[in-house]
Amino acid sequence: MKRYELLVVGAGPAGLSAAIEAARLGMKVAVFDENSRPGGQLFKQIHKFFGSKEHKAKIRGYRIGAELLSEAERLGVEVHLNAVVTGIFEFMEINVMENGELCHYKGNAVLVAAGARENMIPFEGWTLPGVIGAGAAQTMMNLHGVRPGQRVLMVGSGNVGLVVSYQLLQAGIQVAAIIDAAPQVGGYGVHASKVARTGVPFLLSHTIIKAEGTERVTGAVIAKVDEKFRPIAGTEQHFDVDTICMAVGLSPMSQLLAMAGCRMEERRGTVPVLNEYGETSVAGIFAAGDVAGIEEASSAMLTGRIAGTAIARKLGYLDEETFSGEYQALKEALSRLHEGMFSPENRGRRDLTETDEGIPLSQSLLKNGYIEKEELTRFPGVVKQKGIHPVIECTQNIPCNPCQDACKFGCIAVGSRITKLPEVAKDSRCTGCGMCVASCSGQAIFLVNEDYDETGASVTLPYEFFPYPKAGERGLALGRDGRPVCEAEVISVKSSPVMDQTALLTIRVPKEMAMTARFYRAKEG
Amino acid sequence: MEMEMRINEHPILGVIEKGRLVHFTLDGADMEGYEGEPIAAALRAAGVMTHRHTVKRGEPRGIFCAIGRCTDCVMVVNGKPNVRTCVTPLEEGMKVQTQYGKTAKEQTK
Repeated sequence: MKRYELLVVGAGPAGLSAAIEAARLGMKVAVFDENSRPGGQLFKQIHKFFGSKEHKAKIRGYRIGAELLSEAERLGVEVHLNAVVTGIFEFMEINVMENGELCHYKGNAVLVAAGARENMIPFEGWTLPGVIGAGAAQTMMNLHGVRPGQRVLMVGSGNVGLVVSYQLLQAGIQVAAIIDAAPQVGGYGVHASKVARTGVPFLLSHTIIKAEGTERVTGAVIAKVDEKFRPIAGTEQHFDVDTICMAVGLSPMSQLLAMAGCRMEERRGTVPVLNEYGETSVAGIFAAGDVAGIEEASSAMLTGRIAGTAIARKLGYLDEETFSGEYQALKEALSRLHEGMFSPENRGRRDLTETDEGIPLSQSLLKNGYIEKEELTRFPGVVKQKGIHPVIECTQNIPCNPCQDACKFGCIAVGSRITKLPEVAKDSRCTGCGMCVASCSGQAIFLVNEDYDETGASVTLPYEFFPYPKAGERGLALGRDGRPVCEAEVISVKSSPVMDQTALLTIRVPKEMAMTARFYRAKEG
Repeated sequence: MEMEMRINEHPILGVIEKGRLVHFTLDGADMEGYEGEPIAAALRAAGVMTHRHTVKRGEPRGIFCAIGRCTDCVMVVNGKPNVRTCVTPLEEGMKVQTQYGKTAKEQTK
């Protein structure tokens, strides 16, 4: 039996972050993960993260995964892969299935950061090959480089459904539609908008009825639902798809904690009762990340760090005073993520009608996935100016502020509360550098110049699809709803390492289309 | 027409690194894939959707979770049934068979 001071179950964002904190303070740490690769879901997350600098905002998930991993290695954390923890026993002993053998390890503390599993809803044909989890789609395309299908129906409009839909498009796969039984888009409006503007329809208050096919999925049937989520006869719609992707929520994988005798409660799944430091009712057993309640990777890293620091204090590696300083800082960083309309307390709320600033929310965004042009002008990121300037179509209170740091000329202000809507200064000294466009994790910033030439305006938009259009090429400008609105000429496509794979595509459109054109599509053929 | 299922160049990830090209068989037929990728990835890239048929009703099953959790994608690999193909790395010369119930069908090679 091998001994360590801290045993961590799960090498995802929470587990690795905890291990790093503990190892940094001198503890001997081992991390166990059932997968063949560490990082949990981070290596599948290819979008830029939200939050602020302290939350690793605007860095793509897979890069954060690589950072955490190299930091853990540098600090001497032992990461055991293909290692399934099968039980936590008395006196901090765990059993691990490794290389076909059952191994014992003993620690002075155990942290469970086992993450979550995907939920599923059964329907006719749901077991057919071609019905997959959204996580499966991410794994196939982003880890293994294989497209899960050619044409996909996405079920679920939470952040997972929205982000994976966008990733499907980036992988060259068609998304036929995003449906959700709820009457409103569940995830961030900015995630919805970047999908909607490519032409993907959103069908809210719709559920999946049937996967068609005998050997594999050949189509899908959906129907409208009433206010009690019952399908309404006669509203059925068919889609030609070969893949149905399910993104209908996650559940904590907390079985190990329940087995270990930790007190559990029902809070959107079975979760352990924790104190403020992440310790369960069993002294010495801690939990962090999604296993303790579904959130996202940014808060998982913070709850992991809190637990790691608290474990170090408990085992005498950190004095009370230093601990309380570090704990305060981490707790404040976490609370900054927990503000706004998508905070844990506000989850699933559909009665919010205005932003924290008192501005009425875009109803079109909630129902269709995009903002109507007429709704835009009431938001502080949208101002009319002479010459080039940013137009920030960020209309919900989400915790994010890289745009403020991106502008060296002080044109953009979010303030210290990172859920506030960004404001564009009235007389901004915008040089058109485009750093704000590339830094916006929600891809909600555009540069607009209504005085580009006599008759035309230029619009610069974030672009993350291959192949890149070429300067001089003529194509179609699409509106926020993804419908063609006018002809467009490509002025330039810029990319640089600092923009991290977000290219800046500048198109020229007729002047009157400056506030309408928001995406570009090459002409077919 | 089946589109190329492999992503050759990705706008964010660039060129996705692969192991060397290896050969394996599916129910006796020659197949190709990349060493170290999950068997399921190589099969999906080749357009194979059905990994097994259920014990009682003979219903087809394929990839569902792709992370080794649901066991829908199990097949007979090198004579061993119930191998989770989504988390089992592909090797040169592997003998992969569609699973019927708990075994490979008699008539397949």
